[in-house]
Amino acid sequence: MNVIIGTAMIWAAALAVLRHVWRMDRTKLPAIWQAARATFLVMLPRTVIGLSGASFMATLLPRDQMSALFGAEQGLAGILLACLVGALTPGGPMVAFALCATALKAGAGTGALIGYLTAWSIVSLTRTLGHEIAYMGNWFLARRLLLSAPFPVMVGLLAHSFENLWP
Amino acid sequence: MADAPDPAGLPNPEPRRFRVDFGLVFIAALSIASGIAVWVTEGPARFFELLWGDSVMIASLLPKIFGGILLAIALAMVLPREKVLRLVGPDSGLRGLVIASGAGAVVPGGPQVTYPLAMGLMRAGADAGAGTAMVSGWVLLGVNRVLIWELSFLPGWLVALRLLLSVWVPVAIGSLARVWARHAPGSDRDPEGRR
Repeated sequence: MNVIIGTAMIWAAALAVLRHVWRMDRTKLPAIWQAARATFLVMLPRTVIGLSGASFMATLLPRDQMSALFGAEQGLAGILLACLVGALTPGGPMVAFALCATALKAGAGTGALIGYLTAWSIVSLTRTLGHEIAYMGNWFLARRLLLSAPFPVMVGLLAHSFENLWP
Repeated sequence: MADAPDPAGLPNPEPRRFRVDFGLVFIAALSIASGIAVWVTEGPARFFELLWGDSVMIASLLPKIFGGILLAIALAMVLPREKVLRLVGPDSGLRGLVIASGAGAVVPGGPQVTYPLAMGLMRAGADAGAGTAMVSGWVLLGVNRVLIWELSFLPGWLVALRLLLSVWVPVAIGSLARVWARHAPGSDRDPEGRR
């Protein structure tokens, strides 16, 4: 159902913009159609392969052990470990947030939890492999991931010191 | 302006054929390896069950993806280039990155909305810094995901603290991407011609 609503909204927006083009300069429409078709054909294999791979990886990763890793270490080591686990968590928001909720109940530190969430948000394998690489290209994704790498640890450390200030 | 306007209004007027590049080889290798691992550890039945589930999901996504691409390409032609350049172009400064991050955070919808919008804006003159800030704003601060998912799983104080501590991050990542793109202009475009 959500897919249908989302598809309808995107098509409504696309058709509204196309109608605008039709009114401004309808000779541009064939070029738009051609460019869209070509882009779609470039994206298609990447989306199909990326999404299938991401779902295989989601099956392989041991969720129970992953949430146990949160509380395993304290301080910087704990935050680094949580960020690593976050970057490797595939699947949609349901998987990551459920894992985080489990870790919170198990007594994970605030720094580790927030480091985990930040790292997962930035990397999220299903999204990057299944969608971003196809839409935005290799360079955009590689540059974004590389430049984002230090931030989950930084935000985790900030959260950790915050926790110590207001226990 | 660092970015010369495209006379045709379309960065890639010529149709692009199927091509293999590093990214495709990388995700294919990763997918095949994890597919084999699933086959070996969980058996062929589980493998085919997952493959079938993926096929259904991908088939249901395709109309959405095509609509998103159509939106991105048509949007790039309709958006006033001077305005886009001024707001989120290479010389838009810190303000441009803040605007891009904020736009990423408030735009509702999933990857089929945000990526086409970022793609359309970048075709219309937004630079790599603004594009990266927009995607980062969406993934780190996206209001939609916070309201629908994060708050249903995690306590409000944790969500609020995460947002508070992350609010500057998309702008920082965007600035780094802008500096990178400026000093390595070749990296600003991949072989597809997408920036």
